Amino acid sequence: MPELGRAALIVCLGLAVYAVVAGSIGARTRRRRLSESAENAILSSFAAALVASIVLLTALLRHDFSFTYVWQHTSRALPDAYVVSAFWGGQEGSLLLWLLILTGFSAVAVLLARRSARSLLDWTAPVLAGVILFFSFLLVAVASPFATQAAPSDGLGLNPSLQNPYMLAHPPMLYLGFVGLTIPFAFAMGALIARRADELWVVVTRRWTLVAWTFLGFGQLLGAHWAYVEVGWGGYFAWDPVENAALMPWLAATAFLHSVMIQEKRGMLKIWNVVLVIGAFALALFGTFLTRSGILSSIHSFTESSIGPWFLGFIAFVLAASLALVVSRLPLLRSKTRLESPVSREATFLYNNLLLVAFCLTILWGVAYPILTEALRGEPITVGPPYYNFFLKAFGLPLLVLMGIGPLIAWRRASLRGLGRTFAWPLGVALASGITLLALGARSSVPGLIGYTFCAFVLASIALEFVRGTRARHALSGGSWAGALAQLVGRNRRRYGGYVVHAAIVLLAIGVIGSSAYDTTREQRLRAGETMAVGGYRLTYRTTTTERAANALELRAVVDVERNGKHLGTMRPGKNRYFAEQQVSNEAAIRSDRANGEDLFLIAEQIAPNAVFLKVLVKPLVNLVWLAGLVFLAGSLIALWPDAREQRRLAVRYGRRDALARA
Amino acid sequence: MLAIFLVYTAIAGGTPQLRPSELKGRTGEVSLVGKVVGAVSGDARGSGLRFRLRDVEGGKSIRVVYRGSVPDLFKSGRDVVVKGRLESGTFVGTPNTLSTKCPSKYVAEKKAS
Repeated sequence: MPELGRAALIVCLGLAVYAVVAGSIGARTRRRRLSESAENAILSSFAAALVASIVLLTALLRHDFSFTYVWQHTSRALPDAYVVSAFWGGQEGSLLLWLLILTGFSAVAVLLARRSARSLLDWTAPVLAGVILFFSFLLVAVASPFATQAAPSDGLGLNPSLQNPYMLAHPPMLYLGFVGLTIPFAFAMGALIARRADELWVVVTRRWTLVAWTFLGFGQLLGAHWAYVEVGWGGYFAWDPVENAALMPWLAATAFLHSVMIQEKRGMLKIWNVVLVIGAFALALFGTFLTRSGILSSIHSFTESSIGPWFLGFIAFVLAASLALVVSRLPLLRSKTRLESPVSREATFLYNNLLLVAFCLTILWGVAYPILTEALRGEPITVGPPYYNFFLKAFGLPLLVLMGIGPLIAWRRASLRGLGRTFAWPLGVALASGITLLALGARSSVPGLIGYTFCAFVLASIALEFVRGTRARHALSGGSWAGALAQLVGRNRRRYGGYVVHAAIVLLAIGVIGSSAYDTTREQRLRAGETMAVGGYRLTYRTTTTERAANALELRAVVDVERNGKHLGTMRPGKNRYFAEQQVSNEAAIRSDRANGEDLFLIAEQIAPNAVFLKVLVKPLVNLVWLAGLVFLAGSLIALWPDAREQRRLAVRYGRRDALARA
Repeated sequence: MLAIFLVYTAIAGGTPQLRPSELKGRTGEVSLVGKVVGAVSGDARGSGLRFRLRDVEGGKSIRVVYRGSVPDLFKSGRDVVVKGRLESGTFVGTPNTLSTKCPSKYVAEKKAS
């Protein structure tokens, strides 16, 4: 069996090499059949990657410990679902997952583009194949998932904190996002190499970017929720380099999604867009590198890791080659139009982009700082959450305001009088909310108060857009108001889907501000029968229970919860002691209040038969963070949903030109 | 852009990351990276958790006293990071800064076992 896996990977590598060479020659000499053969090699590479993946999956499920990878990441006692998740629990397996998704996406992109953008594909296919080549080379020569050994009787098991349903969905989602960013990159490069100045690559890859971005965004929120309920320190995001690794490409892709609209509408920002798409892809590679090379523990472990230097080399190559390409094509990328006024919709998009990219660079600098200082001074200096939180406020709050301004402000040039009329309502709502919050005592956190005022402004301006549009639709076609709203959204899916995503970001902001600027923490040791008070709750510790489960000893502190003299129920924070892994894991207890989105979060820091050291957090509005994830998904789906009207419009705009290019 | 970050990091500063062998003579706050060796005693929620840290690569160890949250993965033999400062030969940890090194690195750790 391992031979089959190894052979499949070698075949995949061979196909990739062939696709790069044949595709390049075919595109250069305009030999259609050679190009098509290269594309077919990409399609077949997916089959090869699939075979390799099936081999690994089978070995995992059969507990075949003669596979070193299976031995390292599973044990016989591990439930089947987590045996599957061990596929991406280690370095080699997750690289194989990268390759599988990459070849799968590439195959779909090739098949779709054959119908809609034939001429773009000639140079895009070799670029895609180049990325496939890199990953299959790593898997064949550097980090093989098919290394074998004399089979031990049992495996080492999976880290208990990864034995969680979230770990089934979170890593693959991030990979779908990371890998998805390869497709727009490849098409952008394909267009540049072919010296095409039109926007076809933007149109073809818009959905790819959106899909990748949605996966990355939703995957991160899943990860945050996992950290919140499972890791149990009472937070959901800690600016950990591994978390930053996913946030950076998401920010770059967010900037790109906005600025391509300007390119589509006004033919501006072409160079910027190409640079962003390169940046997003490079950051996706960098993210994989950060989480998989071991550079985070220190430079020393990095040089010991086998894949680190290869990854760094590949990222450097991608950046150098693609930026050199951009420079050589600069005349093609010149804008047709210029920015007419700093107060216009275009300008708002530009500011939004600058802020997003600035924030992305902030994080990159923070992640790289220890590495740079260690290289320069021999002593790594780390920057912590205060650094990131400072810049989150500095860049995030203006971004929030722009989200309220952007959708309403006029294109090209907005007059001052027009501005007053447009923003009278949202400004009024924002001021009223600010004053109300101040009266309610929100002044304990000034950034929180400012943030909430801005949130009100954005929500009001989004609501205004929906109301105005629905009213116009209703006046035009009559019928019911709900029908008018459905028509409005249905006919402008990108636009109103985008607004729904904006609303999700506001919800996220409300949740983040509430749970970080207005939270309460209290710690206390309690003996049986003792009570502590925190944030309006009264907690009484009764006793500790001990239960023997299949793979762990479960200790739980029984805590009665009261508020305003009313019994709200019993919570059971505790610890699990895992037998096989010889590890302890914290099992926090969380009580969510549906009415106000507040969580009561209990951690049993120490637990004994008749005493417990409780850490209690009251986190207002934190549930809006999770709600934001669902709204975000809904908005993305609205924007992604196929729109026949738009397809026809695009076919008219690009179809003829594409046909000409083919002739 | 870069200038802003440079200025910020210069003013607000980061925390230097050191190994126990590099600690001698340092008085400011640093974050200490090392391997827990020997027995762990005391109470992190009482008079303080007491343990010794040495360089991950080996060498002499230093005494550490720490109060606050203790991560699940903490035990003798693990690589940990803790902020704090040196006070008359003992490294006194800043409360709630103890973390085990990169929890996703359990592959390497298993090789050691």
